[in-house]
Amino acid sequence: MQVKIDAVLCSGHGRCAVLAPTVYKLDDNGYNADRGKTLEVPAGQEAAARKGAKLCPERAITLIEG
Amino acid sequence: MDYRASTKQLIVFSIDLYRDRGSDMIEPENHREPESPDPDEIRRKHGEEMRNRFGRDMFNDFDIDDPRFGDNLFPILDEMLEKCPVARSHVGSGYWVVSRNADVRRIGQDWRTFSSAKGYQPNRPAGLPYLMPEESDPPKHTAWRDVLNPHLSPRAVAKYDAQIRADANTLIDRFIDRGECEFISEFGAKLPGWAFFKNVLGVPVDDLDQLVQGVHNGTFAPREERPAHFGKVFEYLGNYLTFRRDQPPRGDLVDTIAAGVEYEPGVLCPWEDRVSILVDLTFGGIATTTYVMAASLHYLATHPGVREALVDDPGSMDRAVEEFVRVFPPVVALGRTCTREVEVAGTKMKQGDFVLLNYAASSRDPRVVQEPTKIDITRESVLHSAFGVGVHRCIGSNLARLELKATFEEWLKRIPDFAVKGGTGPTYETGILRVMKQLHLVF
Ligand code: HEM
Ligand code: SF4
Repeated sequence: MQVKIDAVLCSGHGRCAVLAPTVYKLDDNGYNADRGKTLEVPAGQEAAARKGAKLCPERAITLIEG
Repeated sequence: MDYRASTKQLIVFSIDLYRDRGSDMIEPENHREPESPDPDEIRRKHGEEMRNRFGRDMFNDFDIDDPRFGDNLFPILDEMLEKCPVARSHVGSGYWVVSRNADVRRIGQDWRTFSSAKGYQPNRPAGLPYLMPEESDPPKHTAWRDVLNPHLSPRAVAKYDAQIRADANTLIDRFIDRGECEFISEFGAKLPGWAFFKNVLGVPVDDLDQLVQGVHNGTFAPREERPAHFGKVFEYLGNYLTFRRDQPPRGDLVDTIAAGVEYEPGVLCPWEDRVSILVDLTFGGIATTTYVMAASLHYLATHPGVREALVDDPGSMDRAVEEFVRVFPPVVALGRTCTREVEVAGTKMKQGDFVLLNYAASSRDPRVVQEPTKIDITRESVLHSAFGVGVHRCIGSNLARLELKATFEEWLKRIPDFAVKGGTGPTYETGILRVMKQLHLVF
């Protein structure tokens, strides 16, 4: 599974990193550290990745099922 | 990735969500609206019903400053969500009110079509200086947020935790032996100001009450008096910024503001904009968090079972904070101005029309939150828009969460058992913001 973080939509609510710290990290400004990138979700962390995506108030995270 | 592949993935994504019934959130994709007829027709149809129930037709003749709105806030928001995605106001030059989560999100994220540069309140009083970054658009807005964000990120505010907790205890010390307190004046209106002044601005807290009053009157006084009240806040903070500009730098947020930003290469912003930034941050810092603290403590005072559950399981505090922010929104609605003709939920808006984003409603939209009218601090996941959506997302959200968590934890440690004083009840004032004016607690 992969997750794509939209560079424009992410506006730094930081919920993803609180709810799924194993998948999402924040940068020093409090925005998703991987804005604009597509990440490989570590094995076993799929549920966390989904939760972070669903709870992003901006819907900035897209799940790409492998 | 080609288009077909991504469509397929999206389908997989929504099927997956559909299966995930255990979650607290419903995806809009799974929710079918009944076929919606003409929005004017809907507003007309339910107008009479609203007038009978609330004394005013909140769909066709809305007024955010009408006390009947504040007195029936949550029932009216829920009616709007169900029946009226876009309400109309004829107050002054008129405005729209958009309530559903998906519509609010779309508007908040589209700053090109829905501009903040003409202000956040409908019928903005003449003579009120503009507040930045709130009342600005990119690229000016971006230039400011880029330099301000690092000072208010989760990592940056975490270092204020110990001080905020110490301050919470200092305030509690002042009344705990008395066995009662008036929560707003003795705690709720103090702690957010202390947290912001001491840690972020580095100013003494002696003048806090005066600033809190200025901000309150600047928001709730009769429209024509508001500029004068805000004027005093501008003057005070302008003096502080000038003072700090001439002092050796401390490397803090105030230095960053005093240094200013470039709006174009080589063009530094005017001094007034820097004062405006400081005012906006102070405004946000002292005018909002108090309500969440007070409304949550009132809820805990009247729901002993929930209070005991929180005392027994401190690990549930983060979720509780998020749920309290969702159900007790201090920012009811803030607005944008349409830069072109646009349609929202079937309603056509013209260039120049003012539209309120009903954040308080969109956090209780059944299309995204299950059983949204229920207050449930054990919700595994809480989606809300209480801190806004889009580029203007509350810059103080991380600090606010920290203050709320510290308050509830320290309060419950010292005062695990408390109730509302007999014969009293909370009083509110509601407009674009909601505040609690008084809350008498006994313990
Ligand atoms: C529970 C407490 C709070 C709530 C619910 C809240 C809510 C909001 C909302 C909804 C917005 C979005 C405005 C828009 O869409 O136009 C906002 C913006 C803002 N808030 Fe807060 N706020 C809170 C606490 C704070 C604190 C503690 C500060 C200061 C440290 C603050 C400073 C600001 C500023 C400066 C903006 C404007 C940001 C921009 O335009 O880019 N807020 N807040
Ligand atoms: S929750 Fe969404 S908006 Fe917030 S930091 Fe994560 S990706 Fe960005």
